[in-house]
Amino acid sequence: MPLLELREITKAFPGVLANDRVSMRLERGEIVALLGENGAGKSTLMNVAYGLLTADSGEIRVDDQPVKIKSPRQAIDLGIGMVHQHFMLVEPLTVTENIVLGREPGRYGIIDFATARQRVREISERYGLKVDPDAKIMDLSVGMQQRVEILKALYQGARVLILDEPTAVLTPQEVTELFRVVRSLVDEGLSAVFITHKLEEVVAIADRILVMRDGAVVGETTPGDTDEIGLARMMVGRDVVLRIEKGASTCGEAVLTVADVHVLDDRSLEAVKGISFSVCGGEILAIAGVDGNGQRELVESIVGLRRPSSGTITLKDKDITRANARASIEAGVSHIPEDRHRRGLVLEFDLAENIILGDHRTPPAAKNGIMHPKAIAELARKRIADYDIRTPSEHVHADNLSGGNQQKVVVAREIGRDPDLLVAAQPTRGLDVGAIEFVHKQIIRERDAGKAVLLVSLELEEVLSLADRILVIYEGQIVKEFVDADADAETLGYYMTGGGGSKFASDGSNVQAIETPPTGGNE
Amino acid sequence: MLADIITPDLFAAALRMATPLALAAIGGTICERSGVVNIALEGIMLCGAFAGVAVTLATGNPWLGIVAAVLAGVAISAIHAFTSINLRSDQVVSGTAINILALGVTGFLMEIMYGHPGTTDSINTIRSVFRFESNADGGFVSTVWHWINGIFLSHTPIVYMAIIIAFVAQWAMYNTRWGLRLRALGEHPRAVDTVGVSVLKGRWVAVLMSGALAGLAGANLTLEQVGSFTENMTNGRGFIALAANIFGRWTPLGSYSASLLFGFADALQIKLQIFRGQIDIPPQFFLMLPYVLTVVVLAGVVGRSIGPAAVGKPYEKK
Ligand SMILES: Nc1ncnc2c1ncn2[C@@H]1O[C@H](COP(=O)(O)OP(=O)(O)OP(=O)(O)O)[C@@H](O)[C@H]1O
Ligand SMILES: [Mg+2]
Repeated sequence: MPLLELREITKAFPGVLANDRVSMRLERGEIVALLGENGAGKSTLMNVAYGLLTADSGEIRVDDQPVKIKSPRQAIDLGIGMVHQHFMLVEPLTVTENIVLGREPGRYGIIDFATARQRVREISERYGLKVDPDAKIMDLSVGMQQRVEILKALYQGARVLILDEPTAVLTPQEVTELFRVVRSLVDEGLSAVFITHKLEEVVAIADRILVMRDGAVVGETTPGDTDEIGLARMMVGRDVVLRIEKGASTCGEAVLTVADVHVLDDRSLEAVKGISFSVCGGEILAIAGVDGNGQRELVESIVGLRRPSSGTITLKDKDITRANARASIEAGVSHIPEDRHRRGLVLEFDLAENIILGDHRTPPAAKNGIMHPKAIAELARKRIADYDIRTPSEHVHADNLSGGNQQKVVVAREIGRDPDLLVAAQPTRGLDVGAIEFVHKQIIRERDAGKAVLLVSLELEEVLSLADRILVIYEGQIVKEFVDADADAETLGYYMTGGGGSKFASDGSNVQAIETPPTGGNE
Repeated sequence: MLADIITPDLFAAALRMATPLALAAIGGTICERSGVVNIALEGIMLCGAFAGVAVTLATGNPWLGIVAAVLAGVAISAIHAFTSINLRSDQVVSGTAINILALGVTGFLMEIMYGHPGTTDSINTIRSVFRFESNADGGFVSTVWHWINGIFLSHTPIVYMAIIIAFVAQWAMYNTRWGLRLRALGEHPRAVDTVGVSVLKGRWVAVLMSGALAGLAGANLTLEQVGSFTENMTNGRGFIALAANIFGRWTPLGSYSASLLFGFADALQIKLQIFRGQIDIPPQFFLMLPYVLTVVVLAGVVGRSIGPAAVGKPYEKK
């Protein structure tokens, strides 16, 4: 008897049939992976199951009984929990407060915090989800916040856990940890639906795989019956190159030069402690590192969103150390930010407006301070076609696009600007394999056109397949440099986690390897 | 001269002046914590002040006047709740409209009820709760008693009510279900929605509570302090209360403390007017004090404080 069953779910949005008679079932103790291109309708289907959206037609059954789920409350009462693509946590509140919100223990309206904390601790011990119950959410890493989301669902009595792209924002270590947790949940009799674009994850964790395309289920398989290449073909409907081929780089003149830059983070602690490097035209330089080692602050200082406390940043002889975002764009810098919602898009604006953000003062978008809607729409349509953005029209609000298509809008705008320097932070976050292939090709094309590319990514695969040169950042310093071929995932991981020590050449001008990499085993 | 300025009644006046500010400020705190900006405090207070006097004049019972003031506050704030929560209109515009409406309505009612604009007839103000004897020219013990009596035991009921409300609201905000949900509402309403708590209801309750408190503030002004109603008598107190709420970092006790500071500035200003002859500073300068303080606070000189993340943003269910 299936725990949760969706029958013939249909959901239409203006101009899009997001779900077209989709059926799926989930047995007790099972992990089903939901796979599909950007905009295939995965999130929509799960939002219907969680009561955030109401289906136009179709039936939901829990424990073989037909049920109506009109709100998350009803879903929760039926034992369905969801960890959203964008977390639903109240930042200034504590872990405990967030978890018990809506179901606070206590009498006469007074919260019994001792009991609350106790229950949180019980659940977190039972499933091995360690977290400080009194920490504030804003002080936690993304991985920890996700843990709180899972705890919240468990506290509410979830028997089905829906995870919408849970690994998109996690480091490889955190992904391993998440998999361990999900397995232990399933061992306890829970079931999980797992949405992801990372095929190796699907193969690693799923019991059953459901592939969606254009709002319909196009196939079902198990990890035993297929491999990553087969999955990619099922998803996209053609063969996908998972690791891109690229020619040798030809290094021209230096485009970006960063000299002994120090940058403070939001708490005024030094996040970047004297970093120097340069990127030349025709080169892709990747900065690899575990999240929170200063790469965010470094990127922000280069693109004009944060002022370095000392040091200089030069773009082709032009000092841009103190440039703001506008000056930075005008100087020829493009920036794909890591957080598309916070930095990349204005969600209330439509697609066309988002596509010209930053270029809205210059032709073709505007002349003499007056915007040209026709030219803007035309440009938008071109980008939509070039970058395969799945949308009914260029006048859809960015808010209403699927996660991956939102990301494509940002990428299209920033690469489409044809910059001298492209700073790309997690450029393929949330993209499907086909779209990743496309974006990677675009980045390499930029390089081959003599542009400089600075890539910041947590994905080792991405770093290894794109970079001509790799700098490893650790605790705000560059601890190691690799030139193309001499890097592999293991060695990279070793330096990223501080294996090389945090000492570095403090004159900053030339980066040195301090220790020899490991030979085989771990420390 | 300093001994003439620094007297028990200076501090007592500070406490008295702080009361309407504090009540409105706590109302503002509750309202903004739920995610709704309430710049209508000024107008709500004015309506409360008027309703209090009108009912007291009609019934001769100031306690009924207080009840009327609170109810008037709730009624007016319901307009704000409806426009900003249900209609999702701009909360600042809605608040401004209510402030203008309050001025108009009270002036209009003055005309039709009393036949003239300006000021109403006087009522007997509510007397102070305690009346103990004390004087300054005794020994040490009697001097201390004189100060305690003068500062703390010379007040009318709503002054004490405000202090109790500040403590209770502070406690409730951090210890009750209501408080937790309130704090979450103004930060991330969608998160509250997804755990099955109604955003609509939570915000309505908060706005009505702020209306009740601002109404009570108006009652304190007319029924306990002045003894009559004059058009536009709140004179910007609602806005100073908003500043106090910000200065108090969106907490009830913080709001109360900040109001004390403003109240003290006001009390000092009045006191210094008496010594106009001896101090060679124009009196307008002293009158300015509370407002200057407000601007300084709002300009963030006293450390930038960050309000609830979703304040002022209408919530739309998906
Ligand atoms: N609120 C909405 N209003 C209008 N259209 C929507 C809305 N939500 C989703 N859509 C559309 O429905 C389709 C399916 O979107 P959905 O978010 O389910 O895709 P997805 O499979 O989760 O994609 P991704 O992998 O990019 O997250 C998309 O074309 C999207 O533009
Ligand atoms: Mg999605």
